[in-house]
Amino acid sequence: MAKIREDYENSWWPRFLRWLRGGSTRLDDQLQEELVESSEAHLLQSPEEAAQMERQAEERVQQALQDERNMYDHVHDWARLKGARLTRALYSILAVVTCFAIIYVLLRTTSFLPPFGDPDNPVNNEVSQRYIEAGMQETGAVNIVAGMILDYRAFDTLGESNVLFIAACSVLILLRISREKDGSQSAEQLLVEANDRMYEPKNDTILQHITKLLVPIVLLFGMYVIMNGHISPGGGFSGGALMGAALILYLNAFGFQKTERFFTFRVFQTVSLCALSFYAVSKAYSFFTGANHLWSFITPGTPGKLFSAGLIPYLNLAVGLVVCCTMYAFYTLFRKGDM
Amino acid sequence: MLEFIRFLLSAVLTLAGLFVLVSGVVGVFRFRYSMNRMHAAALGDTLGILCVLLGVMVAEGLTIATVKMLLVIITLWLTSPVASHLISRLEVTINDHLERHMNVVDKTAVAREKEGN
Repeated sequence: MAKIREDYENSWWPRFLRWLRGGSTRLDDQLQEELVESSEAHLLQSPEEAAQMERQAEERVQQALQDERNMYDHVHDWARLKGARLTRALYSILAVVTCFAIIYVLLRTTSFLPPFGDPDNPVNNEVSQRYIEAGMQETGAVNIVAGMILDYRAFDTLGESNVLFIAACSVLILLRISREKDGSQSAEQLLVEANDRMYEPKNDTILQHITKLLVPIVLLFGMYVIMNGHISPGGGFSGGALMGAALILYLNAFGFQKTERFFTFRVFQTVSLCALSFYAVSKAYSFFTGANHLWSFITPGTPGKLFSAGLIPYLNLAVGLVVCCTMYAFYTLFRKGDM
Repeated sequence: MLEFIRFLLSAVLTLAGLFVLVSGVVGVFRFRYSMNRMHAAALGDTLGILCVLLGVMVAEGLTIATVKMLLVIITLWLTSPVASHLISRLEVTINDHLERHMNVVDKTAVAREKEGN
């Protein structure tokens, strides 16, 4: 690292920057000078003279430091007294102007919208008519929205889940603290773990009791929202978010030792990849056959039943698992750089 | 007559809840220290929500929606005080000048809290 930094300092661009700034800082130069001078002086002069020279050098350094401090104070005072007032005035004026501009733009846009509920509106075209009239028959989902996003437009939803997964991957690349090659914990990891929750209340009994009570209920409710996505409002995204929140709550109450027993980086990898691959493969099959599935297995079934609507419950489950894993992964990665 | 009493009851409950919520909001804005603010915020989360939802429940009658509202009340009463409790513990943990804002009775407990045990 130091070697690279030195190389960088000696390359032409930092040198040009330094030249632009008028050389290195005054204080650095002076200190350099003192070092050189005093080392020579020690060899040539008597102890008293050397001591005096040292004192002079010390004074000069102090003077330079004082100068810098004065300059800083000057700038700081200006910022505190005049600059702050100026910024605040400018800020409030700009805030009001921006606010009114946005209000104007939004109101102007609203005035161009077609009247609400008019049957001749451009939204009410043959597409939505088809969805509403034939949706339940074709997909088997009572919840038309689920039928739309997981059957008619399933490709779009695959993209959405992949966006989540890619976001988790980017955060992994940026924030994950790597282990040692032999799998043991690196020094950086140990440091982060020691500093984790240094300024937070730990092992709160009240929180732990409430968590014991709430987390199973929240997980169950999340599962219900996911599995009932084709019958009632809900689905993979909202249910997955609920389950992820339950996991985060559990982690906050009991710490990493407890969650590492069932949710490690490996689990995250396996669950996310399996869910996304299942989604991609099953939907690819569906697209490839032009929605002419194996009718005996992927059947609309009886609308309103739990296992109906063809692939929709399974796709909902896949999306929910991806969302749940991604939420939990985000939290842990931002907190300690690992899972 | 019964209908009118029901309407009156629900209106009174809802208005009482709104009053509590408004005073909570005023408190959050007027108080200057986080512990004081917490008091005001907790007021709205518990009593305010309770009164408003009770009012709505009375107006609704006994349906499945009423049971759901009861569940909302239970959930909020379970979670909101815990959140307040954690905020206050955090304040004790990170604030080095507690005695400037309040009367610290047990100094050793505060020190233990800062140690993190």
